[in-house]
Amino acid sequence: MSDTLLSDGSVAQGCHPTTEINAMVNGRKVKRTVPNHYRVIDFIREELKLTGNKEGCGAGECGTCSMFVDGKLIKSCLSPVQKINGCSVETIDDMDRDSGMSLLQQAFNKCGASQCGYCIPGMVMAATSTLRQNPVASRDQIKEGLGGNICRCTGYQKIIDAVELARDVQSGAKPHSALDEDSATVSFIGQRTRRLDSPAKVTGAIKYAADMFMPNMLHMQVLRSPHAHARIVHIDFEAARLIPGVECVLTCDDVPGVDNFGVFIEDQPTLARGVVRYVGEAVVAVAAETLDIARAAVAAIHVEYEQLPTLFDPHEAMKDGAVQIHDFAQNNICKHTRIRKGDVDAALAQADFVVEQTYNTQSIEHAYLEPEAGLAYLEADGCVTVQSPSQNITHHRHMLARILGRPINKVRMIMSTVGGGFGGKEDMIYQGMLALAAIKTRRPVRYVFTREESIKASAKRHPFNIRYTMGLQRDGRIVATKMVMVSDGGAYALSTPGVMNKSAILGPGPYAIPNVWVDSIGVYTNNTPSGAFRAFGAFQSEFATECHLDLCAQKLGMDPVALRRINLMRDGATTHTRQQLDRVLAVECLEAAIKAAGWEPGVPYRQGHSQPQRTDFNYEGSRDFYLIGGKTKPSVPLNVAAHHTQGDMS
Amino acid sequence: MKQRGRGVACGWYGIARTAAMDRAAVWVELDDGGTVKIATGVTEIGEGVLTGLCQIAAQEMGVRPEDIVLGDNDTARVPEAAHAGATRMTYMIGNAVAVGCREAFGRFRVAMGAYWGVSAESVKAFSGQVWVEGSTSKLMSMEHAVHVLKKERGIVIVGSGLFTSAHTALHPETGEATPWQSYVFGAQVAEVEVDDDTGEVQVLGVWAAHDVGRVINPQQVEGQIEGSVIMGLGHALMEEYVQVNGVTTTPGFAKYILPTALDIPHVTSVLLTEPDPKTPLGVKGIGEPAITPTAAAIINAIYDAVGVRMTRLPATPERVMEALIAKRSAVQLATSPIEETIH
Repeated sequence: MSDTLLSDGSVAQGCHPTTEINAMVNGRKVKRTVPNHYRVIDFIREELKLTGNKEGCGAGECGTCSMFVDGKLIKSCLSPVQKINGCSVETIDDMDRDSGMSLLQQAFNKCGASQCGYCIPGMVMAATSTLRQNPVASRDQIKEGLGGNICRCTGYQKIIDAVELARDVQSGAKPHSALDEDSATVSFIGQRTRRLDSPAKVTGAIKYAADMFMPNMLHMQVLRSPHAHARIVHIDFEAARLIPGVECVLTCDDVPGVDNFGVFIEDQPTLARGVVRYVGEAVVAVAAETLDIARAAVAAIHVEYEQLPTLFDPHEAMKDGAVQIHDFAQNNICKHTRIRKGDVDAALAQADFVVEQTYNTQSIEHAYLEPEAGLAYLEADGCVTVQSPSQNITHHRHMLARILGRPINKVRMIMSTVGGGFGGKEDMIYQGMLALAAIKTRRPVRYVFTREESIKASAKRHPFNIRYTMGLQRDGRIVATKMVMVSDGGAYALSTPGVMNKSAILGPGPYAIPNVWVDSIGVYTNNTPSGAFRAFGAFQSEFATECHLDLCAQKLGMDPVALRRINLMRDGATTHTRQQLDRVLAVECLEAAIKAAGWEPGVPYRQGHSQPQRTDFNYEGSRDFYLIGGKTKPSVPLNVAAHHTQGDMS
Repeated sequence: MKQRGRGVACGWYGIARTAAMDRAAVWVELDDGGTVKIATGVTEIGEGVLTGLCQIAAQEMGVRPEDIVLGDNDTARVPEAAHAGATRMTYMIGNAVAVGCREAFGRFRVAMGAYWGVSAESVKAFSGQVWVEGSTSKLMSMEHAVHVLKKERGIVIVGSGLFTSAHTALHPETGEATPWQSYVFGAQVAEVEVDDDTGEVQVLGVWAAHDVGRVINPQQVEGQIEGSVIMGLGHALMEEYVQVNGVTTTPGFAKYILPTALDIPHVTSVLLTEPDPKTPLGVKGIGEPAITPTAAAIINAIYDAVGVRMTRLPATPERVMEALIAKRSAVQLATSPIEETIH
């Protein structure tokens, strides 16, 4: 770190005074000199390369970086590195070196408590702390102990089950064999086989993109737009380029090929080209020897903008005369999906009841615990390789080859372990910059998003405005459904066309309805782009349908289950897109759910209708999981030995 | 005062890519030590599909899940399996693995039948053991069988599998199409407790039933349902990405509120396991279907508890309280959150 001081005694740009740290880490003495602004997480991950504990938010909110300092659980993203001087630190990397897994880790493994695995190191640390402090912690006390740790995948249930199991084995209430794996006797299909990646996830051994290091690796940082809609007049990056340690500065001018990407419509450049269309859009990328130098370089770039009129409301954006966000999209309409079946107007005119209501759903962040990260490098044969948690390496390779102007076999995409995706990692929003930087510098380049960067730059769930009109007969039969949905797609298309399709196809719900009208319109605005998100528009449209049916049940004085039972699709039903189905288990699902829940029929909000209160609350009788078999067999006989009966079809 | 209520909602979802040809391919090799290499172009995003693929391959090849080596996730080394999403992993890749393993295992049976002088059909394998049906002497480990075939017969057992799901595009005017081959249906019941002094909602229980098709690993199916329900709970009650003039005011997890262990109900999963009749394995998927009913079941339960209809997500304590106050003031005029006409 001697090069951080210039001859006049001042510190070079992007360099910091250093500090010496002496500590015990996982039982070993360490002595290192690091920049004095380092946090404990930086020291552990970047200096010691102990990458088991993850950084999820950098703000002490998610708990993934939890580790022990002198036996006390801390959030290492909030602690200055100086705090561990002379202390003993325990990370997930070495919880129980001798046996491979601690009791708690074995219980996590047994219970299937890890999914993407990114939050699990922090969860194991928090659970360890909880049981160390209170070996007989109750389920509620365990929940409190884990209350500072966020998991986006599991819903926490299996994590809490695992902590209870560990507690009971530790206390002797359950035998150690309760941690053993179930063995298959007749078939591996249908078994609760333990996840094969689980030992690596509960011990922090598995590597995500941000955990990867390569020799001679550079660090990328990106300057992003502060404006929602602006013309780029001039970019001045000379000062940044001259900072020692800056290896390359990239703008759209450095893209050699056809510079557009997108899941359905390729409308987004790798780096903003002449115009920025949302706050957070990438404008300039820098690769430098250290993260600090890359940050200093980004701060030294000056971009002159000329602000343009903005659109934030999709209804306004569709009006004639509204500013055009993309030249090709008239009235800023990105996608309009229509479903037309029967004669909705005539059916509504003849219906006994017509119920109208408007529903609004919000913009939603995926909040995968792993922020975006990637590592790009050149191989000996000139192939450029990008490792990132991409949910679509096949399509990304196609687009990247075109952007880079290379043959497709000179572009290689490797999907690194994904720390949660939910659709949010289907968009190629940073892999292009990384590949360009690796080609230009001929060195490996890594880019790790901060949580703030991830939230502002990545896709969101489309917010929907849904105008609903439903016509019903007195007996509860739905005769017509009309849904008019307008959705904010944000500045670029990403998955908007697909989301509009799915919201429309599935929107009217699993019901047999003779007359259906659906409009699903996705609109460009200057908001953060909306994209793919678990259930892809169907979450929004089906939400409206299911709320609306409850409202209709109230109007008709019916039990909401009974209203659904009348209308649900049966075997051989015709869908809203006029597809003929064969087996339909919709009614069976409804009956199974209400049986498990112990549902007591009646009109919603009974006390409001002066009816006796429900007596089905807190029904505990069926809190085991169920398997309910059926009557069909797979069309192609299973190619297994005769004694392998199909154990999963009880 | 705390009031309880229950709500119900149904849902459905199409499996794999929408209104487009979906495809997935795999390569299979029966390898030394009685292990099996499976190469396919996608890895998991946490749902557990790699474990599921190993279970399928183990069953089809007569070995154990831990004997499988999965080469995945690399466009330069493995065949295309398209993307990780659309509830397509178990359905598309699971079926492709089954098809590829059946080809490889078929060749293995022919080769071993020839070696033992018996019919191919009489050769059986499970969990690393190979035997001839009805014979007490023709029996060996898979490891030895691979050795014998390689050293004595010069045979390496390989196979490949392709699974295609043919879907048609939507007619631009009417939407007519076969967007998917297989659908998953579902229903959920939610029980909530609403504090009518604060507007706070606690979800106490969710019962979720889904016809997931043939189940490969019930623990992982439950994991998907539990995760979906809690994500749906967050969407229903607390999560909102807010922008003011294009600038987010929820830039981190201090402002963007997510469900924690303290917010969760017990989730009871009910798996209807009737196999899908249209595919070799009979599997479907559950990654996305399970989130479709949750928010509505919770919102309907809030109405059942306190008689206010929350038509805007999320139903935060502030919004529930606002609706309760509006209801109490009994000014059910145009300002009511409910715009409805009944004739």
